Amino acid sequence: MGGLFTADVENRGLVLDPRTKLLVMITLVIFALGGTGSDILLVRCVTVAVSVLPIILLITAGQRKKALLFGLIYGGIKLLEIFVVSKATGAALTVIGLCCMVFVRLMPGLIMGAYMLSSTTVSEFIAAMHRMHVPQQITIPMSVMFRFFPTVLEEFSAINTAMKMRGISLGGKHSGKLIEYRLVPLMVCSVNIGSELSAAALTRGLGVKVRRTNICKIGFHLPDGAVLLLAAAPYVLWILGMIGVVK
Amino acid sequence: MKGKDLINIGIFSAIYFVIVFIVAMLGFIPIFLPLLAVLVPILGGIPFMLFLTRVNKFGMIWIMSVIMGLLMLLTGMSWPPLAVSVVSGLLAELVYKSGNYKSSFKAVLTSGVFSLWIAANYLPLFFAADKYWSTRQNFGQDYIDTVTKLMPKWMCPVMFVAAFVCGIIGGLLGKFLLKKHFEKAGIA
Repeated sequence: MGGLFTADVENRGLVLDPRTKLLVMITLVIFALGGTGSDILLVRCVTVAVSVLPIILLITAGQRKKALLFGLIYGGIKLLEIFVVSKATGAALTVIGLCCMVFVRLMPGLIMGAYMLSSTTVSEFIAAMHRMHVPQQITIPMSVMFRFFPTVLEEFSAINTAMKMRGISLGGKHSGKLIEYRLVPLMVCSVNIGSELSAAALTRGLGVKVRRTNICKIGFHLPDGAVLLLAAAPYVLWILGMIGVVK
Repeated sequence: MKGKDLINIGIFSAIYFVIVFIVAMLGFIPIFLPLLAVLVPILGGIPFMLFLTRVNKFGMIWIMSVIMGLLMLLTGMSWPPLAVSVVSGLLAELVYKSGNYKSSFKAVLTSGVFSLWIAANYLPLFFAADKYWSTRQNFGQDYIDTVTKLMPKWMCPVMFVAAFVCGIIGGLLGKFLLKKHFEKAGIA
C-alpha cells in the first residue's frame, strides 16, 4: 500500500498541475460515477474518453503493466455493459450490474485518485490550494489526512494479523472483542504517529503566523491545456444537450 | 488554531473516513444500506470521542465536519451531505463549546449532532429517487425494488433520528473505552 500513496517524483513522467488533476477527478465523479447527463449520447461518449484518461496518465508515469490490466478490465466490462445489460434479467443482471458499477464507474475515479496521490507532493498540493485561495484550515488537515491513509491502513492490517493470531476475529474464540481490540490499538498508534508528525511539521514552520513561501513551481502548461479541454468537454456537451443543441 | 490542532483534525478525519469507507462498502447489499446510518456513528463515535479530548479551540469540529462533506462530494455522493455537514458541524461545535470543551455529557451530545451528516447521504434517495435510480439502472430491478421497499419517504426523518441516537450510543461507547484504555495510558 505504501507505494500507492507515496509520491514518486522521479518517475512521474508528465507533470500536470494539481488543479488540473483535481478537475479531472471531479469530472470523473460527476459524469462517470454520478452518471450525470447519461441520457445524452455525446456526453456518454466523452465520459468514456475521460474515464480512459487516468489509464493514459498511468502509462506516462511508466506503470505500463498496471495500465494495460486496468485498460483491459475497463474495455471488457464496458462492452459487457453496452451489449449484455439490456438483455439480462434477474440475478444475472444484479451480478453484471455490480461489476459495471465497480469497474466502469468506480474504477476510473479510484485510479485517478491513486495517480493523483502518487504524482503530487504535499508541497505542490499546498501550493496549488494556496493559489485557489482555499484557507489553511482546510488544506493542512486535508494534506495530513491523505498522507495518513497509508499509515492507517498499514497499521490496521498489522493489528488485524496480530488479533487473528489471538483468536479475535470473525468465528474465532473471542469474536465479541472484534471491534474494540482493533480500533483501540489503531487509535493509540495513530495518536503517537500524529504527535511525531506535528513535531516534524512545527520544525518546518507550520505553526508560525507569517505567510509561508513555497518553492514548488506550479502552473498550467501545454499538457494541462489538453487535459483541461477534455475534462471540460462533458460539461459543455451536457449544457448543450440540456438546451437541445446536441442529442 | 495552531498547526498542531490542524494536524490532529487531519489524523482523526483519516481514521473516521476509513471507518466510513469500510462500512459504505457493505451498502452494496441492500439490507445494509439503511444500516449505514447505524453502524458509522457507533463505530465512528470511538475515535470521535478521543478527538474531542483534543479539541479546545473553536472550529475544530466544524472543520472536520466540512472535510467529511468534501470527501463525500469527491466520492460521488453529490452535494447534500456537504450542505448538511456544514450546518450540523457548526451545531456540534456550538454544543461542545457550551460545555467549555470539557463537559463529557456535552461531548456525547456532540457526537450525536456530528453524526447527522451521515443521514444526509440518503437525501437524494428520498427526494430525487427517479434521478438517483436512473443513474444506477445497472444495479438491476431487484436491488432497486428491495431498497425502495426498505426506504419509503417517511424513513427520511427516521434516518436522521437514527443517526443522532446512534451517534449518542457511539459517544457513550467511546467514553467507556476512553475510560477503560486511554486514560490509563495517559493519552485521553
